[in-house]
Parts: sequence; C-alpha cells; structure tokens
Amino acid sequence: MNIETILNKNLINLNMQANTKDEAIKELTDLLYKAGNVKDEDAFIKDVYNREAEGKTGLGNHIAIPHGKSDAVNVTSIAVGRTKNDLIWESYDNLPVHVVILFAVRNVDKTTVHLKLLSQVAIALSDEEIFDKLLTTNDKGEVIYLLSNKIQ
Amino acid sequence: MNIIGIAACVAGIAHTYIAKEKLTKAAEKRGHTIHIETQGQIGTEDELTAEQIKISDVVILAVDTSIKGRDRFAGKKIVEVSTEVVIHSAGNLIKHIEENIKA
Repeated sequence: MNIETILNKNLINLNMQANTKDEAIKELTDLLYKAGNVKDEDAFIKDVYNREAEGKTGLGNHIAIPHGKSDAVNVTSIAVGRTKNDLIWESYDNLPVHVVILFAVRNVDKTTVHLKLLSQVAIALSDEEIFDKLLTTNDKGEVIYLLSNKIQ
Repeated sequence: MNIIGIAACVAGIAHTYIAKEKLTKAAEKRGHTIHIETQGQIGTEDELTAEQIKISDVVILAVDTSIKGRDRFAGKKIVEVSTEVVIHSAGNLIKHIEENIKA
C-alpha cells in the first residue's frame, strides 16, 4: 500500500504559526481543505472536537493525534504540523504539544484500504524512538518515511 | 504466560492499534506469548481463536468502549483497563499481571 494516498508533502507544515490547540487544528484543517480532502472546515472541526470530548489525544512526548470522522471529509488522509510554540493539550504526561498529527476519516469509506493505512501509521506512533525525529527533522520526506515505515 | 486480549477505542482509528502494538512489545520483551484482537473502524482483525483463548492464562481488555464477544472469556482471569493505561505504561501493566496472576 502507498502512503501517498493518505499523506504527502502538501499535507505537512513543519513551521506552523499556531499558539493554541484550536489554532493548530484550524491550520491543519486548512491544509486538508486546500488539498480538497475536506469540503467543510467548520463541520470537520466540530467532529474533531466531538472526538476530543471522548478522551485524550495527546500521546505524551509532545505529540498529539486528534481525529475526526466526518461527512465533511472527501478523502481519508492525514495532516502533520509542528510548531515551536507550546500548545496546551490534554495528554498522558501533561507536557506541551509541538507535533500534531490530524487524522481525517470519511464517514463512509467504500474500501478499508485507507483505514488500514491509518492504523499502520498509528502503529508507527507506538514506537517512541520516532518521536524525537518528528520533533526535530526539517525534511518532510523524513516525516513521511517515519510515519510509513510500518506499512506493509 | 499465554496472554490474550482485545484492544478497542472509541473511534477505532488510532488508539486501538497503538495499544495493541504497545501491549505486544511489552509482553514479548518479558518473554510472554501474546495475541491481541483489534476491534476498530475496519472491523475485527486478528480475531482470537478458540485454541488461543483455551490455553490463555490471562485476558487483557484494553477497551474504552463496548466490545463484541466478551462471553468468549467466561471463567478466565480478566484484566480490564483503558487504552490510555496501555499506551502510557504497558510495561508496568505486564509486570503487575506477572505479580498478581500465577500462570
């Protein structure tokens, strides 16, 4: 399977301006909107917050994985953002978040291919060794590589 | 020990799979055999077999939501936690189980 169908360089911003969780989610949703993957930003963000209300999406080590399953999503995909600013985020270790990996999931996906890819990106995120690299690399290609190295 | 279990989070998109991976790594690192079924948005994957259930010493349910097939574990020792506990401290959970459950 090919990661490019769910994550590519147009969906990565390693220099986000966001100062808050809200701003980070908005900035990443903008990327998804511009790529045509999300058709209604406000509706999508509402669904992301519905998920946030159900439990923490901060994984610790400055990484968070908010996700929205929404009618507003055209293409199941992932946007990745990083900011030097400290984002306050509900997480397992209460450290500020710097890397945000936003999963946008179609409400009705005709195939499981995209969901399978998302689950394999999640598996990559179980390996804390990649966290330091995500926090420091300036190469979008490396971000894609790090998140896709469990894809079969 | 022979450990089996289920991972399932609310959305079934990410935490389910991180939890499975963390549990599997932590258990194997400490020399256990482990099989974790995932119940996510995709559906059920790596479904536990009757034999795996039969020979298991303990069942770990890393779940934030209702799961299918809980009745398969009738009579088994069950440890139920949130996916958060597993993602944050899978190693400690396995150690705790070793100390409290005799294989």
